[in-house]
Parts: sequence; structure tokens; C-alpha cells
Amino acid sequence: MSLPKSPFAPSSSLPGTGELVLCLLPPGKQVLQTFTYQYPLKLIAPDPHHSGDDKHVTIAFLLTYGGGLVGGDQISLKIELQDATRLVLLTQGSTKIFKSPNRSVVSRQVLDVRVGSLAALCYLPDPTQPFAESVYEQRQTFYVEPNGSSSLLVLDWVSEGRRARGESWTLWNWNGRNEVREIDERSKGRLLLRDAVSLHQDDPGATELPGKTDNMGVFGTLIVYGPVFKELAEFLVQEFSSQPRIGAKNWAVNETSAQNEGTTHAELARQREQQDGLLWTAANVRGFVLVKFGATELDGAKRWLRELLKKEGTIEKTFGHQAFLCLR
Amino acid sequence: MDASDADALRERVLELETQLQTSKALLRRIEGSKPESQATGGRPFAVQISLPLSSATHNLMLLSDSALPLGSFAYSSGLESFLAHHKPIPSGHSSLSLFHKFLALSIQSVAYTNVPYALAAFRDPLDLMDLDNDLDASTPCNVARRASIAQGRALLGVWEKAFAAPARTQRGEDSEAAAAIEVFARDLKLGVLSSEPFPVNGHLAPLWGVVCLALGLNLEESGYLFLLNHAKAVLSAAVRASVMGPYMAQTILAGHGLQDLIRHSLEKVWFLQPEDAGQVVPPMDLWVGRHEMLYSRIFNS
Repeated sequence: MSLPKSPFAPSSSLPGTGELVLCLLPPGKQVLQTFTYQYPLKLIAPDPHHSGDDKHVTIAFLLTYGGGLVGGDQISLKIELQDATRLVLLTQGSTKIFKSPNRSVVSRQVLDVRVGSLAALCYLPDPTQPFAESVYEQRQTFYVEPNGSSSLLVLDWVSEGRRARGESWTLWNWNGRNEVREIDERSKGRLLLRDAVSLHQDDPGATELPGKTDNMGVFGTLIVYGPVFKELAEFLVQEFSSQPRIGAKNWAVNETSAQNEGTTHAELARQREQQDGLLWTAANVRGFVLVKFGATELDGAKRWLRELLKKEGTIEKTFGHQAFLCLR
Repeated sequence: MDASDADALRERVLELETQLQTSKALLRRIEGSKPESQATGGRPFAVQISLPLSSATHNLMLLSDSALPLGSFAYSSGLESFLAHHKPIPSGHSSLSLFHKFLALSIQSVAYTNVPYALAAFRDPLDLMDLDNDLDASTPCNVARRASIAQGRALLGVWEKAFAAPARTQRGEDSEAAAAIEVFARDLKLGVLSSEPFPVNGHLAPLWGVVCLALGLNLEESGYLFLLNHAKAVLSAAVRASVMGPYMAQTILAGHGLQDLIRHSLEKVWFLQPEDAGQVVPPMDLWVGRHEMLYSRIFNS
């Protein structure tokens, strides 16, 4: 005898997939139209809060069971921000990439985000933390309106592993790619920006990974785009170009010793950057501002980034202090 | 097939070539071609020499010449900034060992970020425009971008002024590569006038691939030469930045270490698609990007 037929529609969701559609209902209420996820992916979205300029902001936490990806886990998340919505995308602690049984078992995270007109995404997650012998691939694609009305702030960073256990870039493979493309219904859309980093340990003849990272323990990229972040973008470029010059003589140190008592806040910050081994650059590339940074330790990079973003203030005003949760 | 087979084959080729030339000479003698025997002054064993050097080899030599006017000498590819970021020289290092480290990192970085575009353009010259746009989108800092565009446009200029005409007579009118460059050059000129948000840029790597194809080089030569020229530019920068003298630079260039590194890096990226290209040396972007902040500089990158 066969089993009775289930009265429910068959599940169409695949393991590790998720979908989130955010829309705006009049007169200004943000609603999650679709909100689904499957193990090992988990999403949490508290009720929307009001930002400094009195608009709704939705927060979504991107979680995985056990705080990371075990060898072979695949996560695929689709997010759509409909016109004039605001989303903060966060994680709860670093995404740990656990050891793989062998090099062909790849843990993968795919994120596709479509940002509508006048919508803004603020994606400030914790870094990924690849453990020894892990294999990881990350593909993040952000689709924006061709007329430049979408806004985007994306942070992507990676740390050296479990330093307390002596791990420093002992991973097997870490492959990250961020792309920004124009929304185009017929094709993949024109490529506006691509940021790809690939760290791998499988080159016997080439430089070893710790040699390639030059004693740095964390690397990251910040992508800034769109009208909402226009002031932030200008601020970052300005801040970069006003850094002290690098020369035979250390101008910055000289200045501080001249006025020992009145060391300004900016000078203290610079001294700290030097202690943290922090290096950064900012560049205006094809309408984006791209910030690249590296530091000896995660805490140094976190502190620097938080202070830089807080000093300018756009994020706190537009998305609320909650957006800084991963930079604490 | 391995190295010993290659040696055997090379011997065989030599043998066959000698046989061919001897047979030709004999044939000529039997036919008693009179004008030739007069021209050679009636010497009995006048063998007509045929040099096994094609025009492609000639072009290969031109492209590898450091006098090729691309202005590569103006760029240190981050070396100047790298040295400034390692001052004072860390213990256990000398400026020479630091340089060796940088050269290895720089070659690997260029192999993974630029060579896939050169190879892809060689394989399909009609993709030149898209590859140019994608490489522009993937170059994260202004300093590297400026260097790549300046050299790419210079290569385009050399092609138009010097290479285009001989290539046309040599390879006929139907060269796909030459046509692709022509269209690209026209769009580059029009791009200056139009208000298109992302105009044609003229990055070096994709143009390099297509120009090599149009000049009859093969894919291996084009890729190898791209990396070798990069190594030469970094070394010449090192000489001018007083890291080493010219003989030391030539020693490194001639050494097996460099050859192996270039070969190995090229093999690694041989099948890498441009969309999978990426930075394998993350601090390289930081050093190159921070070149702008040097108090004094002698190079453009």
C-alpha cells in the first residue's frame, strides 16, 4: 500500500539556499516580501528600525550553523532590494571556514544582490576566517541600476586563521570575487567593477603564502558606490590623500615631538595605524571608491575602519548604529 | 613525450634540414643553373644558404627589444613604493634579497592579474573590446591603471605607425587580428569625443595578445614575452633606483631562477579564464596604490 499523498505542496527549496525580497509599502513601511532559508544557512531579521533621517531600515543577519562552513557546505543567497528600500546585512562573528578532507571539497558561498533604484545596501560583515587546510570560494555579485541610482557599501575581508593555534595563512585555497554589474534582463550585464583575490597554497615552485602576505594578518576591500554614499566616498579619498608622505624623513613623527603636549586626535590615530602595521589605499575607479587595506592583526583593522566610518557619519545617520555591529 | 624525446626530435630536424639543403644543392648542380654559378664566381660547392628564421621570429625580436617605444622604463610596477615601505631594511634582509622577493611576487601577481587577458585576446581577438572593459573594471588602483593604459596606447601607436603596414603585406588583408586592432583604435579615438560613461581604455595586456597574433607569434611566445618584458622593466627600474648594477641585473635576467619562475607562472595561468583572474599577492595592490604617497619618486608607478 502506498503512502497517502502529502496535502502540502512539495518543497522547492534546496539545502543552503535562501531568498530575501525587501519592498516598501506606502507610506514608508519596509516589509520582507520573501524570507526563506534552508539548512545550513540561517537568516534572522528583527523588525525594521528608524534611521536618523526617519526612514525604515531593515537588518538581516546572515548566519550558518556552528558559525561557519564545514568542508563542502554550499550556501547560495539571493537578495532583492526593491526601489527606495534600505538593508543592513550583517553576520554574527567571523565566518569560520573549517578544514576540508581534501583539496577538491570546496565550501562555497554565493551571494546575488539586486539593488533597485534609490535603494541602499550596507553590507558590513565580520571577516571570513579560513582555518588550516580549508578550501573556500566566495562569489558575490551586486546588480545595480544602469542610471547610477542604486547605492552600495560592501566590505569583504579575510583573516589569517586561528593565530592562537599558530595558524597564519595555512589554508589550502581561498578564492573571493566581488562583482558589480548593471541590471540587464537579457544578459549578465556590463561589468562595472571586479575585485578578485585568490590565495592558494598549491604552488611548489612559487612563493609560499606567508611570503605573499608580507606579515599581514588581515586583508580587506571596501566598495563604495552610489548617491547615498557620495559624501562618504569623497571623505575616504580626501582622507587618503591627506596622509603624511612616505619619505626618507618621517614627517609625521617629527611634528608630534615638536608639540609634545598638544598631540591632536588625528596624529594619535596615525601613530596607532603605524603600530598596527596598517596600510591602506583609496582610489576613484569608474564611479566607485575602492578602499584596500591590510594590517598585522584583525583588531587593528577593525578599530581603524570603525573610526574612519564613524568620523564621517553617513552610515550611522542613514542606517543607525546597528550597522557597526560587526566592527565592534 | 619528455625532454629526451625533444632532444631526439631536434637532432632529427637538424639532420633533415641538412639533407634538404644538400639535396637542393645537388639538384642545382645537375640542373646547372648558369646564372647562379656566375654570381658565385664559379665556385664548385656554392650552397644556397636558407636561414630558418621566419618573419615571426624577426617580430618576436622586435617586441622583446627594450628599445620598443612603450615607455616601460617609466614604471617600476610598485618596486619604488615597496622599497619605501621596507625602510629601514628589516633584519635578515639586504636590499638585494628584498628585491628578489619583490621580483618573484611581482611576476606572480602580473601572471594572475594580466596574463589571462593577453592569452584570451590572442585566442579570440574579436573579444578585445570586452576584455579591455573587464580588465579596466578589475584593476583596483589608479597607479596600476595609468601604467597599463599608457603602455597599451603606446603599443597601439607603434602598431599603427610601424607594424601595421608590413604585417598587412606579409599576412594578407584577411587578418582577423589586424582588423580587430583597427576597429579598437578607431573606437579609442571616437571614445574621446563621446559621452559614453565607460569608454575604450587601451590596456596593455589584451592589446599585447592581439598585436602578437597579428605579427605571427605563437601563444606561448606571446605569454612568455609579456612576463619577460615585465621582469625586464622591473629590473631596469632596480638599476635606476640603485638597487643593483647593470651586470647584476643581466645576471638575474639570464639566470635559471627567473626562467623557471616565468615558465611556472605561465603554466599556472594557461587555462585561467579572465573572469577567474585575481590578485594572488594582496599587499601588491597596497604598495602600488600607495606609490602616490611617496614624498619623492623617480617612476610613474
